[in-house]
Amino acid sequence: MNPLRSFFSRWQNWLGLVIVLFFVFAAVAAPLLSPMDPKAPGTIKIVGNPNDFLPHPPSAEAPLGTLSNGISVYHSLVWGARNALLFGFIVAMLSMCIGVLIGTFSAYSGGFLNSFLMRVSDAFLSFPIIAGIVLVNQVFTTLLAHALVIYAGAGQGGVSTQALSLLQFQKNLPLWVIVLQKIDPVMVAFILFSWMPYARMMNTMVLQLSQTEYVVAARALGAKRSRILFRHLMPNAITPAVVLAAKDVGGMVLLQAIFTFVGLGNDSPWGMLLVKGRDWIISPGGILTFWWVFVPATLALILFGIGWNLLGDGINDALNPRSGTSYQND
Amino acid sequence: MLIFLRLLSKRLLSLLVTLLVTTAVLYGIAMLAPLGARAALFLPKNLPAHMTDQQYMQLIMLAIQKNHLRASYPVQYFYWLKNLVQGNWGYSYTLQQDVFQAILQRAPVTAELTLYSILLFLPLGLLAGVMTGSRQNSAVDHSFRLAAYIATSLPPFILALILLAFFYVDLYWFAPERLGDAATLIVNSAQFHSYTGLLTVDGLLNGQPGISLDALRHLAMPVFTLTLPHWATLARVTRAAMIQEQSQDYTVAAKARGLSHRQITWRHMLPNAVAPALTSSVLSVASLLSGVFVVEIIFGFHGISEVAVSSMQSTIDPAAALGFIVYSVFVVSLLMAILDLIQSAFNPRVRGGAN
Repeated sequence: MNPLRSFFSRWQNWLGLVIVLFFVFAAVAAPLLSPMDPKAPGTIKIVGNPNDFLPHPPSAEAPLGTLSNGISVYHSLVWGARNALLFGFIVAMLSMCIGVLIGTFSAYSGGFLNSFLMRVSDAFLSFPIIAGIVLVNQVFTTLLAHALVIYAGAGQGGVSTQALSLLQFQKNLPLWVIVLQKIDPVMVAFILFSWMPYARMMNTMVLQLSQTEYVVAARALGAKRSRILFRHLMPNAITPAVVLAAKDVGGMVLLQAIFTFVGLGNDSPWGMLLVKGRDWIISPGGILTFWWVFVPATLALILFGIGWNLLGDGINDALNPRSGTSYQND
Repeated sequence: MLIFLRLLSKRLLSLLVTLLVTTAVLYGIAMLAPLGARAALFLPKNLPAHMTDQQYMQLIMLAIQKNHLRASYPVQYFYWLKNLVQGNWGYSYTLQQDVFQAILQRAPVTAELTLYSILLFLPLGLLAGVMTGSRQNSAVDHSFRLAAYIATSLPPFILALILLAFFYVDLYWFAPERLGDAATLIVNSAQFHSYTGLLTVDGLLNGQPGISLDALRHLAMPVFTLTLPHWATLARVTRAAMIQEQSQDYTVAAKARGLSHRQITWRHMLPNAVAPALTSSVLSVASLLSGVFVVEIIFGFHGISEVAVSSMQSTIDPAAALGFIVYSVFVVSLLMAILDLIQSAFNPRVRGGAN
């Protein structure tokens, strides 16, 4: 069946596509949907009195109410879609690329190199992502502290992490220092510690496919190994990796929000909303008294996750119709 | 039995290899740091509160000499590994504690959470997977699929706060933190001996079931929060495996022989579906441990996550960070090995060898 036909043959795939497109729309149209405050541009917009501690219910200025200090929920929600899509896409894409390359390369090389690379990916699998974050964070701060000692003349012992912000005021910093300052350690940790499933998947697929008749035939016809690899093996083996990547986009954004909540990483706007709203969830009148402090952001996260999951299933339907409907397999 | 023992030794060996590889990689990454920063790993206890730069540099030089930090990578790695095995994991100034001691003291809290969630989600996930997989497209199946989607994309901290609002604030059935005040007094008293560090077990061993009950009351919400997404994932994988088994020849043959639906499901299909289902759980142990750390922070359990958090606050604390990483990698590899063994215990070929 035609890929598009099989994609649109099930309403679940439709739903997934509609949800994802909805978020894409919000991300693209964010400046129109909720213009930034020209005096203080950013993903946080303050409506009303910034010293007001009480969250206010929806009003004309803030369609989804405000948190403490007059932070508009709607504004951060809309701009958060942009952040979420960007973060999820970058992480899923890069970890897929790393995984696919390593998996294919190791299957292609075979022998000792194959088992060695698969051992390495096993070792990475035993790394909880939080340990990865601690590691990347530690490396980054150590290197930045080193830069602070060299370029800003700080004392050797016990550089505090607050002092690292002093580096901003230094001029003529080398490129690596500037890059390190810009990169989010949580994102690096996510990419470094989520390529393994792709590599394993790709590895088994390529090994399986290289035994099939059409590959043997291509080899018999005298095709070069690189041609077999890129023209015959990769396109046929990559489908599961693409499906997993689509599902990972939602998962990574949820994980980012979780780590924002426990205080790690650059704030994702959705995570920030939940962090600022957390103290108002448990209130004397029941959890729904101040519903707008957590329901919109939570719904956004859940919908984002479900949307990408359904879309992943749909891609599987479209590209891999023989596997039976993903409806059975998810 | 013999095959099982052979499997056990093989698994232990590969565990050792994994640990060696990861620690080697870790130290390789530590080598990226400049010499002075690496020497900070080995600073002695009881530094004076105020030091001049000169005094600090002297200490660093001493640490460099003592720990062969100018040697080549394999030599440095060997000495560092030797320290690790001997329990010299360095001193953390943010925790004001020896890192190894700090981890040992907090490990039981984490272990208790991890253990109970594994004990819950493994059987319940398999059960839900079998029940929905054998009744595909029924109402139960459809509602399960929706529930599983929500369970895997619901932020755990929101779930935790909602649970707290209902079961702590409104109903007062369960409570956050590890123990209530009264139980804490008893546990800290001289009469209470800590045998395992797991409060639910220690309470029984001390003849004080009240303590165990109190600990369970406090464990209920964090364990539920942890279990939910892993339960959903395992159930989904089991369901898919069960559906695949349905079209196998042996299932059709069993049906033709007139066996009941229940018999086919539980006696014939389940043992075959368990292996792929458990594989997914083995691979997700690491994310379970990440979840444990998050839940500890949310519910105020003073577990191993404290080491991680303190390693990232205000001052740079490489000893605590490295200790935390080594410990979590060790725990994950150990759990993976155990789950792997459980999985092979289900494998008919290994079981057949037992007789």
